[in-house]
Amino acid sequence: MSKLANTIKPFARPLAILGGVLLIVAALLPWVTFALNSGKYPDLATLQFFDAPFAVTGFRWHILLLGVLVLIAVFAPIPSKGRVVRSLGWGGLAVALINSIFITTEGGGLGAITAADGNAAFGGIVGIVAGIAVILGGTGIGIELPAKWKVKLSTPLAYLVLVVTFAAVLFAVAQTLTAGGQGGPANPYAGGLFLSFLGFAAGLLTALNGIGLIGWISELSEKHRVFSVVVLLACALLLPFTNAGSEYWMTVAANIGIYAATAIGLNIVVGLAGLLDLGYVAFMGIGAVVAANLSGAAASKVGIDLPFPIAAVIAAIIAGIFGAIVGSPTLRVRGDYLAIVTLAFGEIFTRSAQNNIGGLTNGANAIPGVPPLDLFGKEFNEPLNIGSVELPSGVLYYVLIVLLVAAVMAIFANLKFSRIGRAWIAIREDEDAARAMGIKTGKAKILAFLVGATLAGLAGAVFAHKNGTVSYESFKFLESVTLLAAVILGGMGSIPGAVLGASLLFVLPEKLREFSDYRLMIFGLALVLIMRFRPQGLVPDRHRRAELAGEDVGGVPVDEVHEHDTKGATA
Amino acid sequence: MSTLLQQLANGVVQGALIALIALGYTMVYGIIQLINFAHGEVFMVGAYGGLATYTWIVPESVKDVWYVSLPIVLVGGVAVSVAIALLMERFAYRPLRNAPRLAPLITALGVSVFLQEFVRNFYPNATAALPFPGVFVQGQLVIGPIRVGWSGILLIGVSVLLSIALQTYINRSRMGRAMRATAQDPDTAKLMGVNPDRVIVLTFVLGAALAGVAGVLFGTYLNNINTDMGFQTGIFAFTAAVLGGVGSIRGAVVGAFIIGLVKTLAGQYMPGGTQYDYVWIFVVLILVLVFRPQGLFGEPERVRA
Repeated sequence: MSKLANTIKPFARPLAILGGVLLIVAALLPWVTFALNSGKYPDLATLQFFDAPFAVTGFRWHILLLGVLVLIAVFAPIPSKGRVVRSLGWGGLAVALINSIFITTEGGGLGAITAADGNAAFGGIVGIVAGIAVILGGTGIGIELPAKWKVKLSTPLAYLVLVVTFAAVLFAVAQTLTAGGQGGPANPYAGGLFLSFLGFAAGLLTALNGIGLIGWISELSEKHRVFSVVVLLACALLLPFTNAGSEYWMTVAANIGIYAATAIGLNIVVGLAGLLDLGYVAFMGIGAVVAANLSGAAASKVGIDLPFPIAAVIAAIIAGIFGAIVGSPTLRVRGDYLAIVTLAFGEIFTRSAQNNIGGLTNGANAIPGVPPLDLFGKEFNEPLNIGSVELPSGVLYYVLIVLLVAAVMAIFANLKFSRIGRAWIAIREDEDAARAMGIKTGKAKILAFLVGATLAGLAGAVFAHKNGTVSYESFKFLESVTLLAAVILGGMGSIPGAVLGASLLFVLPEKLREFSDYRLMIFGLALVLIMRFRPQGLVPDRHRRAELAGEDVGGVPVDEVHEHDTKGATA
Repeated sequence: MSTLLQQLANGVVQGALIALIALGYTMVYGIIQLINFAHGEVFMVGAYGGLATYTWIVPESVKDVWYVSLPIVLVGGVAVSVAIALLMERFAYRPLRNAPRLAPLITALGVSVFLQEFVRNFYPNATAALPFPGVFVQGQLVIGPIRVGWSGILLIGVSVLLSIALQTYINRSRMGRAMRATAQDPDTAKLMGVNPDRVIVLTFVLGAALAGVAGVLFGTYLNNINTDMGFQTGIFAFTAAVLGGVGSIRGAVVGAFIIGLVKTLAGQYMPGGTQYDYVWIFVVLILVLVFRPQGLFGEPERVRA
């Protein structure tokens, strides 16, 4: 890489400028030579520039923006110039590539992005070339560490910055969630547009990180922790009021939330304690089954109808007990063997549930008709009116799940920095050394399993009520793999990472319905690629980053020094 | 009594199959301390490779002549298995050789899911179970109350033969010595002139070849293959390897026969029947791990992380 950087060094700036200009040109060029089989590619991509000079919307607008930003970044005196330019380049390349691939595969063929029927449409190709040029230019300018800002703010000003930031985050989340619209046969381009938006957002975010803004803000929020948490929570609760506030998106967001809560629980076991748990989703299943049985569902054998909080607590406790039982071999078994034990446990759960063990799971018929939650006589699956604003149904579940995720995050954060959390991390790093330092490793490991399983059981209880049916199908091995992939993609041991990972892995299938057959295949491949190229995940935990990236002599994570960061491309 | 004898016979056939796969697990673990989750998938891919060979390569005229078609199908299955194993070693595991322990394990999991889904999506009609031709003598061997298909007998014979051959190879040959040396101490082995990369590749190739043979013979025996079979059988084989003591060839074979018998006998005599035979195997696995982690033939002093 450094050799390449040296070769292009003399041309770096012109190359970056050329790339930036080309990006702008690409945005203005037509992208498709004819209307595709399933209609026009979105956002007037088929139009010539002169037909609609200012109607540059959607992904072309993103590309235009990236091009302008590249030019600004090259000429303005900003820190870590090379890194910023390169990030923007990755963003542009991602957008151009994704859209070109979609146009060609959606029935256009290569003619659609070159020349056909007397029309020429080189937008995609120019965009790809431009993206590569910018990346090379950025690399040639020189990749430095993300800049650190020394600006200190007074408390009110800091609060203002944080509020603005979180409002922007809320806006970005709503945009991302709805980007491309609802996937499915009616909207064949949902997947492509969503991925393209992700590429743009990732490019922009990594550029902001490079310039030092994100580091600065995270430091700021670290300093004003309580305030940040409150604002963030408020922002999450405001999501129903944005353009994501329809029933569909609320349901999607609520599902993501359930899996995010479960992923954080898994993160305790895998990320903090370093115990690979391949049957984790079984605990969620246990929680769901227990809650369904205790809540008066028609198929329930138990036949008692407990209020939700009590049922949820019982579900969590029972899942926790199973967690401790499964974790108990950890006293004698280590590492990879433990993974197999947990996998075996997960399979035993699925098998038992499938065969309707004790009449509790209703086998292949699932447990239907779990009643929805209610509070003050208001059922959670009904629409909600606040004053004159009507919010769609599903909002109450969304709110409940946001609170659940917040609670789980709080538990995780407190555990992580507690005595037991440090013990877990010590065990993860070196079990023998931890034992020598007086940590009761057996007890700590069982506790990790217990806490993780309890949280999963709680999430399972909410899952049961929200979905109304509990089937063993929802808790199979591959779901465990998906959760694990979420934790690893986000970054082991990191809270935002787990949420980000869970969001990505559960939004993408919604958007990419037409690729649903390939979902697991892509997950499998993603696990391999992440472990190979970015084992610390998208949002690395600080300790973990040092450990998984390997260190150089000075103790600086190698990743920071020699770059092979491909954030823009992986998103 | 006759049911018991019949189930014992079925268990031995199962054990022979599991042994062929367990050897791959045990060898790879012995050398690079990696649980190759994807090894079960190598077995599955072998079966599909064999089926593809039979469908598209074996000439129509000799399809019914088993002593011509079976060797071709076996070669096809083994070739596919070995190719997959080589690719996976080169591109997934080798770059992670010095990474933290969790990394290759997760990679192995990813490879396993990927292979399973890849075959399911891209092999024609593989979304459902596919019929596998009986490329061997049809009919059954009948001894008193016991009936075993000839293809089952073949499975037992091949399994025992190959295990002995492997054991001999590892104990007697030059490469075998290099393998044992690498397993014991890779750094010292390197100093003594052993090329660890070559040894590791060879280990993967041997394991994959055995798994490929197992895949084809499994198809011939059951006349039915599906993409899930690798995962399930792989877990059984792994359990067998652990039971026998990971790293020990003899242990893997003995463990495999025990697991095969546990599976069939538990399916017959334990409450819940064949629906829960799986569960009993895992019970055995957990009991072994808790009470004798080094397995039946393992060396207790080896530190496992």
